[in-house]
Amino acid sequence: MVAEKTTNEMYQVGKSIPKVDAREKVLGRAQYIAELTRPNMLFGAMLQSPYAHARIIAYDTTAAEKVTGVKCVLTGDDFEDHKMGPFIKDEGAIAKGKVRYMGEPVACVAAEDEETARAAALLINVEYEELPTVLSPEAALEAGAAVLHEDLADYFKVFEAIAENNLMSYTEISEGDVDKAWDECDLIVENVYETQAQNHLSLEPCGALAEVEPDGLINLWSANQSVFRVQANVCECLGLPMSRVRSMTPKVGAGFGNKMEAHIQPLCVALALATKRPVKMILSREEDFETVRARHPFKIRCKTGVKKDGTFVAREVELLLDGGAFADDSPGVLGNATLMSVGPYHFPHAKAFGKVAYTNHLRFAAFRGFGNPQVTFAGEAQINDIADKLGIDPIDLRLKNVLAKGQQWFGGQKVDSNGIYECLEKVRVSSDWDNKRKNSGENGIGISVAGHISGLLATGAIVRMLEDGTFVLNTGATDIGQGSDTVLTQICAEALQIPIDRIRTATPDTDASPYNWGTTASRVTYTTGRAVVGAAEDAVRQIKDYAAIVLESLADDLELREGGMVGIKGANKEVSFFEIAAMTHWGVGGPIVGSHTLVFDQSTIDPKRAVAKGMPFTNIGVFTFAAMVSEVAINQVTGKASAEGAWYAVDVGQAINPGLVEGQIDGGYAQGLGYALFEEMIWDDGRLANPTLMDYKVPGTAEVPYDIDTTIVEHPEPDGPFGAKGVGEITLVTVPASICNAITHASGVRLRKMPFSPERVLNGIIENEIT
Amino acid sequence: MTEAGYFDPVSVDEVVALLAADDEAKCVAGGASLVAMMNARLVEPSRLVSLRHVEELKKIETAEDGWLQIGALVRHCDVAIADELADGNQILSQAASLIANPVIRDMGTIGGSVGHFDPAADYPVALSALGAEIEIASEKGRRRIPVSNFFVDWYETALEPGDLITCIRVPPPPTGSTGIYEKLAKVKGDLGIAMVAVIMAMQGDAVSHLAVSVGGCGPKPIRLPEAEQALIGGSIDEAAIQDLVGKLSTASDPVDDVRASAAYRKLLIPRLVAQAIGQAKVNLRDGS
Ligand SMILES: Cc1cc2nc3c(=O)[nH]c(=O)nc-3n(C[C@H](O)[C@H](O)[C@H](O)COP(=O)(O)OP(=O)(O)OC[C@H]3O[C@@H](n4cnc5c(N)ncnc54)[C@H](O)[C@@H]3O)c2cc1C
Repeated sequence: MVAEKTTNEMYQVGKSIPKVDAREKVLGRAQYIAELTRPNMLFGAMLQSPYAHARIIAYDTTAAEKVTGVKCVLTGDDFEDHKMGPFIKDEGAIAKGKVRYMGEPVACVAAEDEETARAAALLINVEYEELPTVLSPEAALEAGAAVLHEDLADYFKVFEAIAENNLMSYTEISEGDVDKAWDECDLIVENVYETQAQNHLSLEPCGALAEVEPDGLINLWSANQSVFRVQANVCECLGLPMSRVRSMTPKVGAGFGNKMEAHIQPLCVALALATKRPVKMILSREEDFETVRARHPFKIRCKTGVKKDGTFVAREVELLLDGGAFADDSPGVLGNATLMSVGPYHFPHAKAFGKVAYTNHLRFAAFRGFGNPQVTFAGEAQINDIADKLGIDPIDLRLKNVLAKGQQWFGGQKVDSNGIYECLEKVRVSSDWDNKRKNSGENGIGISVAGHISGLLATGAIVRMLEDGTFVLNTGATDIGQGSDTVLTQICAEALQIPIDRIRTATPDTDASPYNWGTTASRVTYTTGRAVVGAAEDAVRQIKDYAAIVLESLADDLELREGGMVGIKGANKEVSFFEIAAMTHWGVGGPIVGSHTLVFDQSTIDPKRAVAKGMPFTNIGVFTFAAMVSEVAINQVTGKASAEGAWYAVDVGQAINPGLVEGQIDGGYAQGLGYALFEEMIWDDGRLANPTLMDYKVPGTAEVPYDIDTTIVEHPEPDGPFGAKGVGEITLVTVPASICNAITHASGVRLRKMPFSPERVLNGIIENEIT
Repeated sequence: MTEAGYFDPVSVDEVVALLAADDEAKCVAGGASLVAMMNARLVEPSRLVSLRHVEELKKIETAEDGWLQIGALVRHCDVAIADELADGNQILSQAASLIANPVIRDMGTIGGSVGHFDPAADYPVALSALGAEIEIASEKGRRRIPVSNFFVDWYETALEPGDLITCIRVPPPPTGSTGIYEKLAKVKGDLGIAMVAVIMAMQGDAVSHLAVSVGGCGPKPIRLPEAEQALIGGSIDEAAIQDLVGKLSTASDPVDDVRASAAYRKLLIPRLVAQAIGQAKVNLRDGS
């Protein structure tokens, strides 16, 4: 269905133009990492740990080295003791001294072809001494549990981490006085919720290609969400200066947080340095499952107190996260989950706190929603229970309590653009809520709402005029398939008032692009878009200065005209970008380069309002809002729930490209549906039991309803580019809760553990029949 | 595996000779399962004997004794639309149409599925309800084994080294019978959590034929001929159905796996079977 849209017409913004790279992708000509080759290239492969926790006693690489075609074998002994990590620097390029999860890379090989490399890797003998394992956060935090990182206290941390033994991080935020507030409540509900590990499952597995230039520069291409994070991670864990690594990107076959921090790049670089030849490594699906990263399993205790009339009074949320063997983004996920755990509501009293623990699992990390889908599931399921107990319609109860204009987010950050109320009203109508809720047939419907951030950290843009008056836009932001090259081009074209095809978007390259923290946190449209507007305005200022000379006028009296012209306001006299380009390249001043950089700087915590401990970030982002209704059908014989419909209303500030907003909604829905109903990484005593697509099931076309209804709500973000804010994650955040609530409506079964498998639903149905 | 280990014979005799010459040899039909297992290094055959040019294995024909013989190389997509399968025997087509996805159904063969014998595979459940036979060729000649003796244990069949499945033999359907094949899968195209096949016929209000087979709930399809027999001649009321489904559930021996728990399968069997029998009754009454 075509998204609905209402705003003031703009020249390029607000138009659903096709993606700038659609053609090459549809034709199969776009190049991804697996397709890149370099002359004389070798292939890398790795050996993975067979133990979840073990000391490495010795390596024997002789058999592998003897294989014809093998050029080099590296083990932990070949690596110096350097460490990387976005929050806690606790991870080397390869296991050294000990292994901390089953599947962890312990050695690697470079050979003339992939088959030889893979076969040789299996010939490396490693002697281990097994150590006791900790396979749950509860076990990890028990007194006397085996410790994963004996040197945790000495590791460098980028924030004031509360960390000790297997406690990786503790975070707490509180406002008001929860403990006293319970007395004011007429109804208090408290439950425990549990969520499972989900795999990112990018169609394209992770891979990298590294090559050392004669002068020592390392060229590194990889599947990534940030060429700059790749550069930083590789340099940190290999002890290289950043000026020696040039990180670049081919097309990326999706990233959902899995390609933000390092995967195989450090090993690939190490092999290229050791062999002095280009080396490519592409993970198999199984290796990708076993060694990259996944969504955190959560245990959530959620307690909510309300007045008889439905007014929210207090909420307390306690979280326990499995962090896996390395910190990676875990402290950030815990911090964000804490911040999101009261949802887009006004609670006079609220407290959220939680722990993330090291365990002998694969690292858990960033994944679309960054801890928010888990806490939204708990909170929104509980609000429905409250609505049922009070006999209030779930949408009415939410309308009564969502953040009003001017109210702050939990922690104290001001919220400028807030369309949550309108989102709720829109889905109520589009889903035919009031009628469907009354008819208790086989199907059920459920609502959920959420807010999510878009923002974080630094970004930049360079807008450079070419000799003929066309432009190159360079931001360093990796387009991971979501369409940011297109959106940033539209923003730039709007600011310059020129057609899309006069702008070329440069591919990210740490040698040439301005810094960009990454394609993550729903941030590129919002933060990088702001930098693009700033850079384009800088270019326009210069263009007008030169136009003023040509037009014998004052720059202030000039205006941009559509199609690349500068004219005198109220007069016909004008000059083209072509002429300005020629003039600045060959005669006057110098070629035009506009640039702008920024770092997101709105504070998340207002110390006058809230108390926070162990927060991993200070300035997180602006807020996007969504409401969604899901419809499900329940098979009464098997308990199987199937999705029958979805209605979204999302406040994106301003849709730069409504078609791409819809794409994010459709994709977020499908991924959220998989998370809600089917997907689960299952460990059997430390071993991942389903690291293949044969055994790990995602929804296909038969499981996703054909028509996902989308309403775009636009409450402009004051400092967003043309009012825009992000949409990448919020579309997944609301899904599990709305499905869960729909299952309850359809069957009377309230599930508090994900995924909502046929087994869990059927057990609920049978239990209800008995009682 | 090198190219030297790949053979492309055209007759059954050649195939069995090639298989007999090497204990580590494997025949490859559609390759859907075998090649995936080779990629995962679960099997490393020393030689591959391709069946793709053996015309005898591609036929569907009625034998002199009236049984339908489906060649081992007949693909799932063709079984799914085979006109020769009528009345209750249509469960075989239903089972075929629910295997995996169109790509796999275009590759995979009935002989490959039966020979591979994944405990969650669809055909074995249907073949068990049908009372089918497996025809096998080897250097020693040809033999036929009833399905009830062919599927032995987890991934184990009566096949011996050097054996080639030549065809699957299906008896003529009971007059006026109907068939129901039900599969519960996590997502469409996945291997089933549990499968049920029912073939039933009635004369007036009395059951004249009943075969019920349950899959995915133990090492091999579960059939209880005695319990089925007890219902023949009766009107198949609720109590009779409950008796049968209870026995099937007791006879099952499911395990916990990545698709579902054993306990859930135990819970499912009576519900799925009762539903299938109920549906069969409706079909017979409505004459569909
Ligand atoms: C993604 C996927 C999903 C699947 N889903 C399902 C499903 O939902 N339901 C289901 O039932 N099956 C499923 N399967 C299995 C599928 O049905 C396979 O096609 C079938 O098991 C093998 O048939 P094939 O012809 O490809 O055999 P091959 O892969 O060629 O061979 C399989 C094995 O059988 C042996 N073999 C082959 N032909 C003969 C013969 N004539 N005589 C003796 N031995 C023989 C081979 O040596 C080999 O050991 C799935 C497979 C895949 C890859």
